[in-house]
Amino acid sequence: MTDAVLTQTKLSSRSLKTGRRAIGWRFATPAIALILLIGLFPFFWSLAVSFQNITGSNRAGIWVGLANYERLLSDLRFWAAFGRTLLILAVALPLELIFGLLLALHFQADRPFKRLFVALLVLPAVVSPMVAGSMWRLMFDHKFGPINQIIAWVAGEPVVLLWVIKPYLAFWAIIITEVWQWTPFMFVLILAALANVDREQLEAAEIDGAGRFRVFFKIVLPAIMPVLAIALLIRGLDVFRIFDAVWQLTRGGPGNKTETLSIFMYIRGFQSFDTSYTAAAVVLVLFVLSVAVTLILKRLRIAR
Amino acid sequence: MRKTPLWHGIVWYGVSIAILLVMLFPIYWMFMVSLKLPEEIFASPPVWFPSQPQFGNFAALFNDGDVWSLWNSLVIAGVSTVVAMVLGTLCAYAIVRFNTGGENLAIWILSQRMLPPIAIVFPIFLAYANLGLADSYFGLILLYTAFALPYVIWMMRGYLQDVPRDLEESAEVDGLSALGVLWKVAVPMARNGLIATAIFAFIFSWNEFLFALILTRTEVITFTVQISQYFGSQSTFWAKIGAMSVLGTLPVFIAVTMLQRYLVRGISMGAVKG
Amino acid sequence: MLRRLALAAALAALTAAGPALAEDDAAAKAVEAAKQYSGTTITVVAEAGLQALLDTQYSGPEWEKLTGIKVKVVELPFEEIYTKTILEHQAGTGGYDTLLVSPAWLADVVSNGAVEPLDPYIEKYGVKSEFDDVNPAFKDWMIYDGKTYGLVVDGDVLVTYYRKDLFDDAENKTAFKAKYGYDLAPPKSYKEFGDIACFLTEKYQPKLYGAGVINTGYTHFFFSERFRNHGGKFFDEATMKATVNSEAGLKALTEMVEQNKCMSPGIETWGFAENLSALNSGEIAMTISWPPLGRWTQGVNIDDKALSWVPATKVKDKIGYAVNPGGHPQLASGFLSAVSPDSKNKDAAYLYAQWMHSKAQSLKNVMRPVGLRDPYRLSHYDSPEYQALWPTAKDYLLVLKEGASQGLADISFIETFKYQDAMARAVNSAIGGEDPKVALDNMAAEWDQITEQVGVDKQREAYKVWAAKPSAYRQ
Repeated sequence: MTDAVLTQTKLSSRSLKTGRRAIGWRFATPAIALILLIGLFPFFWSLAVSFQNITGSNRAGIWVGLANYERLLSDLRFWAAFGRTLLILAVALPLELIFGLLLALHFQADRPFKRLFVALLVLPAVVSPMVAGSMWRLMFDHKFGPINQIIAWVAGEPVVLLWVIKPYLAFWAIIITEVWQWTPFMFVLILAALANVDREQLEAAEIDGAGRFRVFFKIVLPAIMPVLAIALLIRGLDVFRIFDAVWQLTRGGPGNKTETLSIFMYIRGFQSFDTSYTAAAVVLVLFVLSVAVTLILKRLRIAR
Repeated sequence: MRKTPLWHGIVWYGVSIAILLVMLFPIYWMFMVSLKLPEEIFASPPVWFPSQPQFGNFAALFNDGDVWSLWNSLVIAGVSTVVAMVLGTLCAYAIVRFNTGGENLAIWILSQRMLPPIAIVFPIFLAYANLGLADSYFGLILLYTAFALPYVIWMMRGYLQDVPRDLEESAEVDGLSALGVLWKVAVPMARNGLIATAIFAFIFSWNEFLFALILTRTEVITFTVQISQYFGSQSTFWAKIGAMSVLGTLPVFIAVTMLQRYLVRGISMGAVKG
Repeated sequence: MLRRLALAAALAALTAAGPALAEDDAAAKAVEAAKQYSGTTITVVAEAGLQALLDTQYSGPEWEKLTGIKVKVVELPFEEIYTKTILEHQAGTGGYDTLLVSPAWLADVVSNGAVEPLDPYIEKYGVKSEFDDVNPAFKDWMIYDGKTYGLVVDGDVLVTYYRKDLFDDAENKTAFKAKYGYDLAPPKSYKEFGDIACFLTEKYQPKLYGAGVINTGYTHFFFSERFRNHGGKFFDEATMKATVNSEAGLKALTEMVEQNKCMSPGIETWGFAENLSALNSGEIAMTISWPPLGRWTQGVNIDDKALSWVPATKVKDKIGYAVNPGGHPQLASGFLSAVSPDSKNKDAAYLYAQWMHSKAQSLKNVMRPVGLRDPYRLSHYDSPEYQALWPTAKDYLLVLKEGASQGLADISFIETFKYQDAMARAVNSAIGGEDPKVALDNMAAEWDQITEQVGVDKQREAYKVWAAKPSAYRQ
């Protein structure tokens, strides 16, 4: 090849590269721009507003520095909502995991109609959470719902459980609705992960005569652990922002005994019109969330 | 095939059916409510099977014009899904083939899915109010598209990665532009994944509640908001709630049943390849 | 002479041609004036559920037939009416034309600029004399700071309903007198209310329970009434600290929670609908609720499909009506029709409100159980048509009239909705089992916080204006 041709090839391959890069960015930019617009603008707006004192009746706010954050830190209702949301997370997630695991183990078997069963079991997860909340609201109704009726059959006598009135019952009503709706999500994930477990290892263990429990804990569980971790992360974040189902079940009541973080912010922002205060809450929550997610992702990387 | 005793199979099916009954009970109840007479809905103790299943509740939805909310949901979820699929697939292809933004972009996009809706709803509302976008198709479609994008990009990234490179390269050599390669080679190969992603993205938009609640007034109420309006202060119109819930869930059911094959990937967001 | 007679006859004939032609019929005037807007559409806010049925099934279609203006109804749950009205105004999209405002919120919607002053419209289209017909108890609902902002369309006052047959039963009377030392009669105090409830429950359960009440949602009305009947005051005027957790408050709330024990099982879940159903089906002997129950227990006009879930009344002609224990019932909520300042068709929006508020049309509205609109005009109470609806309708209307004239107004100052909301939540959590003292202390703390945000002096001014009204404390 002559020098000229070589240079030409080098040049064209470089321009090819930059050309490709340009194309790449051209393809990606519309999507990124839209995500930025909807994702970033609200954050900066909230940040700016959180340092002012805007409310519904006082629309032109003045700078008040960290006043809203101070108020937030001493706001018992906020921390109650925060703690409550974490509590729901701490109870619902393990339940979803365990039930999902049990379901997955059961449906591992390769039998006719298995796919149909799995497809049907997925239904709770694709129902609108709003609809799920509404339906469970009716089912938990003391007079018109079947839940108390079923419990009465089992207990042998009429039972008065006021699921959406008594705070501790309302909490369990929320947990039940959550777990019902999202266990299928865990189930499907774990099912797929189980299918990917190394066949050879399993067979070798079987030949060695290892018992079912040992096989599970020593081979299967470690193999599906990465998937479980991601599943827990995704679900954890989803539960943290729970709104639709709880709103339909209790509206945060009785009083504000089942108020989750999202409901707290909704009420502050859209019923009390405490614009700046809500913005401060938003910023704080986002901050905590990103720190948590970053830490978790880091640990997941290290574990891998 | 290993020979398992017959009773193993019977037990397995028995357990499976029991599980199904428990898990699908609320959905069964939803269907039953939609078919019950008003006296049966408010019967105490509750009635488990309507004596005369009647479609009057559904007829009421049509007569009272409530079905329009389903149409709104369809338009908004449908258009936003299509736009998200187009923009998202383009972006995913860039990430996969041109390594646009490297690893960081992909992670950043995934993290956007984690954003709590309540965190962004108020500024969006005010912005929309100022721009006159509240209670409009365009406003909601814009929003839902932005929500769907992270999911679409993440999923299509996985599916496009599976497309064999050599096919694309030979097409490039044949003179096709990058867009041409995407459209003529990659997309057809990833067609199944595309359809699955589109359907799941549609489902998430279809089920959305909070933003629709805040950003619609009278014109473009979606079916989820419509249901919330049946919870009156004096009385709750359970019949309508049931009927509208059924109408709002049926399309999703059908889609999911048709998609049995892609369920795992679709729901798990590609966290597990299956 | 003949000519004079002819003239007189002609005049008589003209005036007898019907009130529809008379210049002092606000309904007719509204319809006439509205015809020029034929072909347009107005969006009317209504309370989701039964309330809205009036607009969607009767008034809306009727208005369209008369004037050619189409009525689009937006249904909002009660808790959202105030917030969505403010939000809508903030968004400024003009999505609502005719608004629904509870009088307690009037100060707030006015200061938010979310309602249009109506005096110019009343000048132009209204009939001033019809305002004299409004029950004085409800008259000041419409005015804030000297201007009219809304027209009354629903005059709410809480009423005590009781089973006359059970109260008149000789056996019951003797047994009750023996046990409690006074005659069995509609309760004159809330203590008596509890006594009677427990007595009847003990005797008749589980077929019948002594009383039923509404325990979910806007329970703050019931607490507010009891609180003031026990002598409670909401604020210490000097410091503007909330005094809801005073002895009177504790007494009122504890009473509410205690009395629940003598009522149907699961009473804590009851809302308006459950309460009504229970009374109609004969499950409870006594209750305190809004006026529509009077018409419903008589099965008046309950042919609407939307009401098919209401059990057919088993207590027709058995219900007696009484002014609430203590003699000062709460004018709980009530509604005004108002006009949005962002409306693109303010005149048409106003005319619909005027029509609904007018003497002629409002009579029709308040006779229907659907729509839950209650009498508020003197002509309603005296109306022969209404009194003919059922044998004891006259007594019922009298109770409404007297109750209203001695009634306690809802609290109404700045950010009323927040205070009401805090009150409702405190009451609901006490009903849910929380210690009433704790609930009230929390409520007082929350109230103090709200007052601080509003500005103590600002709120004091607003509070003084409200407290100066006779209907504030009735003492």
